[in-house]
Amino acid sequence: MDQNDNIDETKMLRDIEGRLGVFGRERGSLIPILQMIQEKYQYLPKGALEIVGRHLEIPSAEVFGVATFYNQFRFHPPGRHPIKVCLGTACHVRGGDIILENFERKLEIKEGETTPDQEFSIEKVACIGCCALAPVALVGETVHGGMAPSKVEGLVLRIEVEKEMRQRAGKKEQDG
Amino acid sequence: MRVKNPKAVFQEIHDAAAGRRASVEKQAVPTVHLGMATCGIAAGALETKKAFEEAILERGIAAVVHPVGCNGHCYAEPVVVIDHPDSGFSPILYPNVSPGKAKMLVKLFLEEGDPRFEHILGATVENEMIPWVMEFSRFSKETRIVTRLCGQIDPESIDEYILKDGYASLARALEMEPADIRQEIKASGLRGRGGAGFPTGEKWELAAQADGGDKILICNADEGDPGAYMDRTILESNPHQVIEGMAICARAVGAEKGIVYVRAEYPLAVDIVGKAICQARETGLLGDCILGSALHFDIEVFQGSGAFVCGEETALIQSIEGARGMPVYRPPFPVESGLYGLPTVINNVKTLTTVPPIIEKGAEWFRGIGTPGSPGTTVFSVVGEVVHPGLVEISMGVTLRTLIFDICGGIPNQKKFKAVQIGGPSGGCLPEEFLDTPIDFDSLNEAGAMMGSGGMVVMDEDSCVVDVSRYFLDFTQNESCGKCTFCRIGTRHLLDILSRITKGEGSREDLSCLKDLSRAVSEGSLCGLGRTAPNPVMTSLKYFEDEYLAHVDHKKCPGTTCRDLTAFYIDLETCARGCDVCVGCCPVDAIFTTRTRKKGIDQQLCVKCGECKVVCPPEYDAVRRISPAEGVPVVERLDKE
Amino acid sequence: MIFINVDEKKISCEEGRTLLDVCLENGIYIPNLCHVKGMQTPPASCRMCMVAIDGEKKPAMACTTRVRENMTVMTDTPEIRHLQRTALRLLLSVHDIDCKNCSANKHCELQNLSRFLKVGLKAAPYATLLKETAIDRTHPCLDYYPNRCLLCGKCIHVCRQKNGQSVFTFARRGFKTVISTFGFDNPDVFCGECLACVEICPVGALVVRKDAVNSNQKEEDT
Ligand SMILES: Cc1cc2nc3c(=O)[nH]c(=O)nc-3n(C[C@H](O)[C@H](O)[C@H](O)COP(=O)(O)O)c2cc1C
Ligand code: SF4
Ligand code: SF4
Ligand code: FES
Ligand code: FES
Repeated sequence: MDQNDNIDETKMLRDIEGRLGVFGRERGSLIPILQMIQEKYQYLPKGALEIVGRHLEIPSAEVFGVATFYNQFRFHPPGRHPIKVCLGTACHVRGGDIILENFERKLEIKEGETTPDQEFSIEKVACIGCCALAPVALVGETVHGGMAPSKVEGLVLRIEVEKEMRQRAGKKEQDG
Repeated sequence: MRVKNPKAVFQEIHDAAAGRRASVEKQAVPTVHLGMATCGIAAGALETKKAFEEAILERGIAAVVHPVGCNGHCYAEPVVVIDHPDSGFSPILYPNVSPGKAKMLVKLFLEEGDPRFEHILGATVENEMIPWVMEFSRFSKETRIVTRLCGQIDPESIDEYILKDGYASLARALEMEPADIRQEIKASGLRGRGGAGFPTGEKWELAAQADGGDKILICNADEGDPGAYMDRTILESNPHQVIEGMAICARAVGAEKGIVYVRAEYPLAVDIVGKAICQARETGLLGDCILGSALHFDIEVFQGSGAFVCGEETALIQSIEGARGMPVYRPPFPVESGLYGLPTVINNVKTLTTVPPIIEKGAEWFRGIGTPGSPGTTVFSVVGEVVHPGLVEISMGVTLRTLIFDICGGIPNQKKFKAVQIGGPSGGCLPEEFLDTPIDFDSLNEAGAMMGSGGMVVMDEDSCVVDVSRYFLDFTQNESCGKCTFCRIGTRHLLDILSRITKGEGSREDLSCLKDLSRAVSEGSLCGLGRTAPNPVMTSLKYFEDEYLAHVDHKKCPGTTCRDLTAFYIDLETCARGCDVCVGCCPVDAIFTTRTRKKGIDQQLCVKCGECKVVCPPEYDAVRRISPAEGVPVVERLDKE
Repeated sequence: MIFINVDEKKISCEEGRTLLDVCLENGIYIPNLCHVKGMQTPPASCRMCMVAIDGEKKPAMACTTRVRENMTVMTDTPEIRHLQRTALRLLLSVHDIDCKNCSANKHCELQNLSRFLKVGLKAAPYATLLKETAIDRTHPCLDYYPNRCLLCGKCIHVCRQKNGQSVFTFARRGFKTVISTFGFDNPDVFCGECLACVEICPVGALVVRKDAVNSNQKEEDT
């Protein structure tokens, strides 16, 4: 497993290196480059920061300093079903933190973490612009409005069931 | 290249657009206008769109679905306007159109001509048969300049904007001397809508006078306030008006390069603005020799990366330069030395969007709207406990009462108004006495609140001002860039103290500490974030000290909101024997059955999520929430060993 | 040459210099932590160098204020001192106050400031909030103590001045901000020789590790 990860990472870094060509070497390219990497891989691998530093001819510490400043950048891959709970103003007054807590309790991870099986991760976000539906949570790209603790249960369950069905279907195919 | 007459060139563009539209509209068929901005999509507009399209196809009707932006009526999303000329009705606005409703409307209205009166909100034009939406104050008391076309046109079609006289102001501006444009803006009294209200004409004048190479124009669409989303709505619903405003500004100050700085959390806005810029370029409204004139101006989009402080102009510049977004001491101001040391004009989206109408109708007209000190309109996103939340554009000087009670429908469920928080994390919390305060830059500042980003939270008697202050402090504390001592460490202590108070662990000393530290943070911080961060605390302490004292002295949360100070219990009088509705909803199985087959809550297990209170059938309404928590009646649990 | 008036003392100075530099040169001490003499763009981050300037409502920072003809400045008003004491307490509230075991004991700016401002070396009324990591040992020869660091940024500044690029950077944001040398990989900087950062650090946040090898040597070794 570990070895596999290493191979993947080497491949990934090589791919990233290849994509840097279109970016200029001026400092102003730094954030667009980091955004490109994150868009492609959902996070910024440590090695990538070094590559970017070399491309822009700045110490990788500088890259690290900039990347850690912004909320957008992650340093670990998110789960397959990233859950984002809105804690914008409207959602807060309608109990967004209770929704967050319920996800945390249900999945047994804290905000900012990923489940050990890499299925779920929880993040908080500020207003996603559907305050009238508050409280709101995003699962993947889908917005779920009017959230309630019991809906949390249902959502997680549905994803787990779907996964199981997929696995079973996959198995059948293999068997058949 | 010979410089041509911009108006003549514009006329050609306009005619071409009209020609293209005519060929589309010739098939005069019913049109379904569907709000497809982020809020609409979140409410299910994509499914609704699919339902319309499928039903139309299925029934073989000639009708088109026309995606438009957001009209600000968020409580009614997905919003649909159906224009069915053959039916004899004026265009009709339908709220909350689910896929099922969509299918029904296709069958009954589009096919059979029955508009289903019970689903109608109103007609969008005056007529004999259906009440006109303008008869409702949610519509009639608004004054729309910035959002006038939002929700009416397809944001991805430049032709539609041009046919609404879009870019005509640019053509006019290109025939004016830059100094005259600046004069017009100065005369209009337009003040920056980014929060501080700096006179825009003056800013442009400074930039025009500045020497030091090429000038840069940045449109600030970072919109970091966690409860405001009007800038995004404008970009998603009518991006061309922003671009037009930028081009006029470019002409006025002599800039050749423009940047729209959009939050990366706004993917749809990024996408739509990008497309709009391309269209404008292809049409000759951006790029070299715009409309045949000598103006060269082009725009690119820069995506912010999630840092509230990057809305602050010097931090914004840092982040474009690829650095940590930490504010830098001013002066020099960006208009003298900004991005890469070049003179840089930074204006908010709304500021720039207001420019084309001013050029079109003149400074005199603009001054006629709003107050002498703050002419024009302002956009608020009103959320919290109001009947019709959403985006509202009002002329300055309208009172808070009008906005909250007339336009947004007041407080739902016969609850009483308690407070309104204006201006988001840098704003303040105002009590009832201020309801007759006119909304403008100076009156709000005087009251201790701020126009800020235009976020507004309405709180009823069941909300807690301490909790809301803590919420905003939590936000600013998290978003502090960490550069200066007062903001980095001070906001953290403010937050910790507030958290203690909401947990019932606060003391009177904490209150005086809050006051003292708030003042120090706002006096000593470097940038606007730190300087305004204590505002929510300072104003709520000033106007709601009794609530703080109740938390501190009596461990009581008067709004029964703070979870550590409240408890839920089930009123055995009204609880229905044998009803099990609440049992299943509890995420921690805290609800048990009593000897009398009614329900009780295990206080040790209860996490106070309030779900049981929501699900308890209204005819029983047996779940109570009280504060202080000690007052909860004891119900013995028998099933536990 | 222009004249300014500081604490009722007339001082002649060159126009355009910073108020802080001028005062310090003329024997008027203004507390300061983040300023290095001659800095082009002072960070103005420590917020210690506050002064009251006649005609200005809010306190101004001496390190970013340029002297003007006839300006009248007070460095010792109760208001200013109160704010400075608050700033000091805030800094102490995130500081591991353990002078006996600190390399900077007796030549520490915090100790000096507490003496100057006549307050104890205590955070009260503010609670103490320390970071989890006590020592960051990622640099080959320097130990970094996050709970001592004031985040003044002087180490970044001198390193850049000496070596063109800095080994150090600020990392993270807000309350979690630290100094970092992430992936120290810059062969152009012969780190471990100049020690300018250790010298300029106003507290004992950067300490040469006892068993340290010069990173340069390490490079050759491998
Ligand atoms: C912490 C902070 C956040 C800000 N966020 C925004 C923002 O999201 N959008 C904005 O237009 N201005 C924001 N501003 C104000 C800008 O610094 C700047 O004043 C404004 O963009 C100028 O435009 P205007 O003159 O059109 O108002 C913010 C200021 C501060 C201090
Ligand atoms: S006030 Fe806060 S956000 Fe502004 S510079 Fe200081 S630490 Fe940064
Ligand atoms: S390590 Fe020392 S010099 Fe560097 S920022 Fe911290 S206190 Fe300042
Ligand atoms: S606050 Fe959650 S969607 Fe606006
Ligand atoms: S010395 Fe002026 S702010 Fe630090």
